Amino acid sequence: MELPLTSLKNGETAVIQSTDCRLEGKKLCRNKTKKGCNKKFANELCIKRLTDLGLTPGTKVTVIKSAPFNGPLEISVRGSRLAIGRGMASRILVDVER
Amino acid sequence: MTNNHFTIALAGNANVGKSVIFNQLTGLHQHIGNWPGKTVEKAEGTLHFKGYTIDIIDLPGIYSLSTFSIEELVSREYIATEKPDLVINVVDASLLERNLFFTLQLLELETPLLIALNQIDMAKKKGILIDCQKAEKLLGVPVVPTVAVSGKGVSDMLETAIQVIEKKRKIVPLKPRYGKEIEERIEKLVKILNKTQLKYPSRWVAIKLLDEDKEVEKDVQQVSPKTVTVAQKLRAELEDIHGHSCPTVVTSERYQVASRISKEIQQITKQVKAPLREKLHTATTHKVFGVPIMLAVILAVFVAIFSFGDFASALLGDLFFELKPSFESVFGTGIVGELVWGGLMEGIIGGVTVALPYILPFYFILYLFEDSGYLSRIAFLMDNLMHKMGLHGKAFIPVMLSFGCNVPGCLGCRIMETSRERLLTAFVVTLVPCAATSVIILGLVGNYVGIQWALALYIVNLVIIFVLGRIAFKALPGEPTELIMEMSDYRVPHIKTVAKQTWFRLKEFIVMAFPLIIAGSIVIKIAEVTNLLEPIANLSSPITVAWLGLPAVTGIALIFGVLRKELTLIMLASLLGTTNFALVMTPVQMIVFTLVVMLYIPCVATIGALVKEFGWKKALTITVIEIALALLVGGIAFRLLTI
Repeated sequence: MELPLTSLKNGETAVIQSTDCRLEGKKLCRNKTKKGCNKKFANELCIKRLTDLGLTPGTKVTVIKSAPFNGPLEISVRGSRLAIGRGMASRILVDVER
Repeated sequence: MTNNHFTIALAGNANVGKSVIFNQLTGLHQHIGNWPGKTVEKAEGTLHFKGYTIDIIDLPGIYSLSTFSIEELVSREYIATEKPDLVINVVDASLLERNLFFTLQLLELETPLLIALNQIDMAKKKGILIDCQKAEKLLGVPVVPTVAVSGKGVSDMLETAIQVIEKKRKIVPLKPRYGKEIEERIEKLVKILNKTQLKYPSRWVAIKLLDEDKEVEKDVQQVSPKTVTVAQKLRAELEDIHGHSCPTVVTSERYQVASRISKEIQQITKQVKAPLREKLHTATTHKVFGVPIMLAVILAVFVAIFSFGDFASALLGDLFFELKPSFESVFGTGIVGELVWGGLMEGIIGGVTVALPYILPFYFILYLFEDSGYLSRIAFLMDNLMHKMGLHGKAFIPVMLSFGCNVPGCLGCRIMETSRERLLTAFVVTLVPCAATSVIILGLVGNYVGIQWALALYIVNLVIIFVLGRIAFKALPGEPTELIMEMSDYRVPHIKTVAKQTWFRLKEFIVMAFPLIIAGSIVIKIAEVTNLLEPIANLSSPITVAWLGLPAVTGIALIFGVLRKELTLIMLASLLGTTNFALVMTPVQMIVFTLVVMLYIPCVATIGALVKEFGWKKALTITVIEIALALLVGGIAFRLLTI
């Protein structure tokens, strides 16, 4: 099942599909690879940072928890613990087995 | 490099113990400044070892050599153009994969390299065993295990470093290889690039072009615009093949290499039990308890610092004022005496009674928190709130500092990644009521009007901060960045490193703020002895009296407040001839006056800090905006409250 990272439950592990997507209406758009989505995509620098920190497609990621008041997510990836903003996290698509 | 004089740069991820190694190497022989033209800290030190003189440069802690932050740019510029004799890559042994990702990029830069496998003891505790010999073989560069906090392995590391620099040890560094599709395209680009002169190695440039690196693209555009077009085409091809953006593909494949190497050299055994640091992490980031714990901790710190500060500050002040008679006997009580004591000395006293009792413990605790890892948890908890004003969680740290003093707050904006974020945070920071402002809020409004009014003023201030933060966020061009941050394991802070950080920060504060406070103090004293204050008060009366409804003398008090905000209250008392403000000011006047003081101008030291970080233009803009804001809000408040 392809879902944004933000919809994983605490403790759930999934595999990253892509880091450069956005939901437009109900349709998923992927940066550059799908045409017809002209709206500005997530900050490219942020995507770069995400991938530099190890969130590349095909990587396993575990959601540990989210901060209070719907705050950022705490995730575990490649053995390190990261905090990422909710907006960023919602643009990371993951594949999860349920 | 001369025969026995080398330069070594330390590079690595954040939180790997790099600065501890730096401190172990250089001891007290260090100098912390800025990279030329950048607000990125540059730590340099010198080391004498077995007849060699070695300059050590501590590069900022980064995760990659791309263009995400100013730190990354500074680091790769330095390595490529200054060509240190050796780069020591400090690697966290317990986070091998991500650290090697950075190592691979250093290898791509084709710089002489040595790897310090740090915190090897911690890795062992976590059940990670590393085969150093195999690592050396695979990476082609020397790998030395170290434990920075205890200094273990550091002299081994140095000896190996010298062997490498003197070419007594043959090394064949690994050239990280990508997948076939990428390699073919790298080769194509290298062929064209070999004909041009660039400061970086061609293969690195080729990789960076595929990585869509804007800075490299700019450089290449100047010498060979054709290459950029070719690279664009090649990128499109790769995107079609892989279905992801090209930078993602490149990064992904580089990670695959890092992952493969780390799997080959490390052996992971099961960890016995969740150690204390994990429990601490869970508690301090807990959905329910995290925020209360944080608030309690911050409150405790503030209460501790202020009770210590008040006591120490009064003590220091008394000590200094005992000198007054001897000054007067030397310089007399005439104009010269007035200037020397009232201008110069009181300026110095003002500085010292702030710096030592408040700023020093403040910085110490800050770095204690940073080194232990708590600051990143605070950022995690506060991210959502800071988002409301267009910033992310890390910005909470300078804001928190600013409740103590705006100067460290402004300097603390460096933790933000982009220059846009830094400026935004600085703007917000200068609106935060510092300790001196709180003295006025509580001392004037809290005392004479009522504590509920003092609280109301704080709330008004917070609302203004949120509103203006949002406006500035919308008005400033550029894209916002979101919180992406590592929360490294909690650890016992390394006191020596913390103490040094504190000392350098304190020095920075003194160097920057003292001349301004002293000069300002002398200027105002001159105005006072030459009877210029009265005309100034009259001149400003259309604003103070007509617009704000305040007594005319407040004009003078407000001018003094530019030096240090608590002076407004002291001046007001002496100008009005009483400390019982209830006799001379109406409650409305007190509220309006406090509002204006709270917002009107960053004090001279803060302006200094802004100039240092952002240049004159931006510092002046912020100052002017805030004066205008203070007058606007003050005037409105006066009218609303007198209806």
